[in-house]
Amino acid sequence: MSFLDALRFALRALTAHRMRTFLSASGIAIGIAAVILLTSIGSGIQHFVLSEFTQFGTNILNITPGKIRTRGASTGSIGSVRLLTIEDSLALKSSRHAIYTNATVTGNAEVRGGGRSRRVTVYGQGPDFDRAFNMHTAIGQFLPADDPRNPRAFAVLGAKVHKELFGDANPLGSVLQVGGSRFRIIGVMASKGQVLGFDLDDTVYIPTARALEIFNREGVMEVQVVYPPTTPLDEVMEDIKRIMVERHGREDFTITPQQQMLSTLSTVLDVLTFAVAVLGGISLLVGAVGMITLMHITVNERMAEIGLLNALGATPMRIRILFLLESTALSTLGGMIGLMTGSGIAGLLSVLFSDLPVNIPWRYVLAALILSGVIGLGAGVVPAMRAARLNPVDALRAE
Amino acid sequence: MKLRDLLHFSLRTITSYPARSFLIMLAMALGVAAVIILTALGDGARQYVVNEFSSIGTNLIIVLPGRAETAGSFPGAVMGQTPRDLTLEDAHWVGRLPQVRRYAPLNVGVAELSATGKLREVTLMGTTAEIFPIRHMKLAQGRFLSHSGENSAQIVLGAKIAQEFFPDGNALGQRVRLGDRRFLVTGIMAVQGESMGFNSDELVIIPIQHAQTLLNTTSLFRLLIETRHHNEIENAKEAIHQALIRRHDGEDDVTVIAHDAVLATFDRILRALTLGVAGIAVISLAVAGILVMNVMLVSVSQRTAEIGLLKAIGTPASAIRHIFLAEAVWLSVTGAFAGFVLGQAGSWLLRLAYPLLPAWPPLWANFAGIAVAVLAGVLAGLLPAIRAAKLDPVMALSKR
Repeated sequence: MSFLDALRFALRALTAHRMRTFLSASGIAIGIAAVILLTSIGSGIQHFVLSEFTQFGTNILNITPGKIRTRGASTGSIGSVRLLTIEDSLALKSSRHAIYTNATVTGNAEVRGGGRSRRVTVYGQGPDFDRAFNMHTAIGQFLPADDPRNPRAFAVLGAKVHKELFGDANPLGSVLQVGGSRFRIIGVMASKGQVLGFDLDDTVYIPTARALEIFNREGVMEVQVVYPPTTPLDEVMEDIKRIMVERHGREDFTITPQQQMLSTLSTVLDVLTFAVAVLGGISLLVGAVGMITLMHITVNERMAEIGLLNALGATPMRIRILFLLESTALSTLGGMIGLMTGSGIAGLLSVLFSDLPVNIPWRYVLAALILSGVIGLGAGVVPAMRAARLNPVDALRAE
Repeated sequence: MKLRDLLHFSLRTITSYPARSFLIMLAMALGVAAVIILTALGDGARQYVVNEFSSIGTNLIIVLPGRAETAGSFPGAVMGQTPRDLTLEDAHWVGRLPQVRRYAPLNVGVAELSATGKLREVTLMGTTAEIFPIRHMKLAQGRFLSHSGENSAQIVLGAKIAQEFFPDGNALGQRVRLGDRRFLVTGIMAVQGESMGFNSDELVIIPIQHAQTLLNTTSLFRLLIETRHHNEIENAKEAIHQALIRRHDGEDDVTVIAHDAVLATFDRILRALTLGVAGIAVISLAVAGILVMNVMLVSVSQRTAEIGLLKAIGTPASAIRHIFLAEAVWLSVTGAFAGFVLGQAGSWLLRLAYPLLPAWPPLWANFAGIAVAVLAGVLAGLLPAIRAAKLDPVMALSKR
């Protein structure tokens, strides 16, 4: 009996009981579809979050005031007796690894312009901010490279602030009042939309030194350093640390590389995707039990047939292979149906709800398919062994 | 056929195929156990978060400087930087409202603490003595700003900080330096551990005026307010908001949040999550139902002769339907019950492994798990039962 014959034999056994085959295959199919659908959504969310994070670039270091020893975020940004200043940011520029440095202050203020007022997030940023974070202006230009210690009072609007205050009119050259100070508008940023719940269009950018004045602060909240992507991270951190310690006399700041945050986030999301895969796997497990049940029944039913095969000289090995082939074919069939249903629904979801990030993770699809094959194999083992061990005389007499 | 006979008859059928019946029950049990354990996990997480939130305070209203036009969070409020400050005077003003039971202004920052030749950076909290009852915090030793003046340079150390600086335990009465000022240690906080990502054991508390000078700010980071009654929260929230708008020359530049609202949001999200997870687990019950249907169909075709005999001796079609349905009920009820036991054992193990997580399966999940399992079993048994009842006795007996 060639392999092809064996395969045909197994397939005929399956098609002889259509209803039964269909039902047990659909058990596996539901399991596989659940796994694929759930991981698609999980992995879609993962891609979405990671792309939100990486759109500003990954080769960025954040320096915040205050040293943290225990885990968790430093509260140094809110207030600290050890300040991080604009001068620190300027000094960091001397590092041979720093492409851009940027000192940031964030606050919330009422802005008035075009006869209207609005409460927005005000960012104090350096002139390199747009290049460092890959942001673009829609009209005009970003903050010019003035002396960072005493910059001219220019402001750049976010897309939404522009629309709310000035409508379709060109705001360039108009006066914008932020808190108690007056700024001249020199640009409008291109729309960036919401990033992780923060509306980046409902913002106004002003020079850092001016923001410090408005918010009555001495120190900035964060300094970002952009380094060349080719430079090893350790070397950059070493250099930054050296310069900062030289200036401050000790390590009273925290350096957080974006890459480190990303890898942590990525790990967390990976675990989440795996967790939902396991949730879907419960159905698969139940489906597997169904397969075992069915194969068990099949062997019982086909005692006479097995006996005949035995009497005709089929080796126990051959009989084992026949039954294993049958169960594997059945479960793979179920797996394929599940694969198509799962990815079909996932595709439909991504079309229907464009907000829902759906991404079919091919490694999970492959794993699911292999798993369905393995389930078939596993479910077939015990019944196949039993079939192979049957005594031909007893088996023939069974009917 | 009496009900008793019916049940007895179908039970005998089930026990005559032990391996097959066991496998079906196993599948049912797995599904029910998954529902119960997963809802226990979800509901445990919800209970945990709710407890954590209530431990922070009850009837709490939080005022923060700054306001966003668009809904959602905004970085300005997190950092608390605005041109117009939320001042200590604002806090005193709000404190005089009739709905307010007590209030605590809050400033947070980082400073260096040095004493006995050691030095480390700590998170400092500037506030008043009222913070302790509001936040449900307790002092292990000493007191904070109780009888001496509001402005005396007192400091309360977190449990871990006190342990680090004064390992011999006599921290009270010692002088420590925080930033460029000297403080007298008058109290040590009780160990509280981490709560909502905030470790109060590594915190120091100083009077608000000192904190503002140290951090060189005049604006509060937060203002915590406890109302007199739970049902006054909405009313108090509005009153506080109006009072602050009046004080700020009619400008609406503060955000007032009821702590309960935040809690309710979390509660809703986690409830929805639990339901979602339970829904996913229920899929496995559907699969188990398919299995029951499959096996029952097989069983009908195997027992064609028996059914034919039953029909030939005058058993009505309804009785045959009942026999097969009873079989499905037996299988699914036993499976569901086994799953219930398995699920309870699983959530008990969860509670054992994570004592912090109150992983009790909610009552509805127990019932829903069992009910869905039985329903799936009965529905699955329906088609085979009808098929059996429809068999022609002559054909069935001749096994054609």
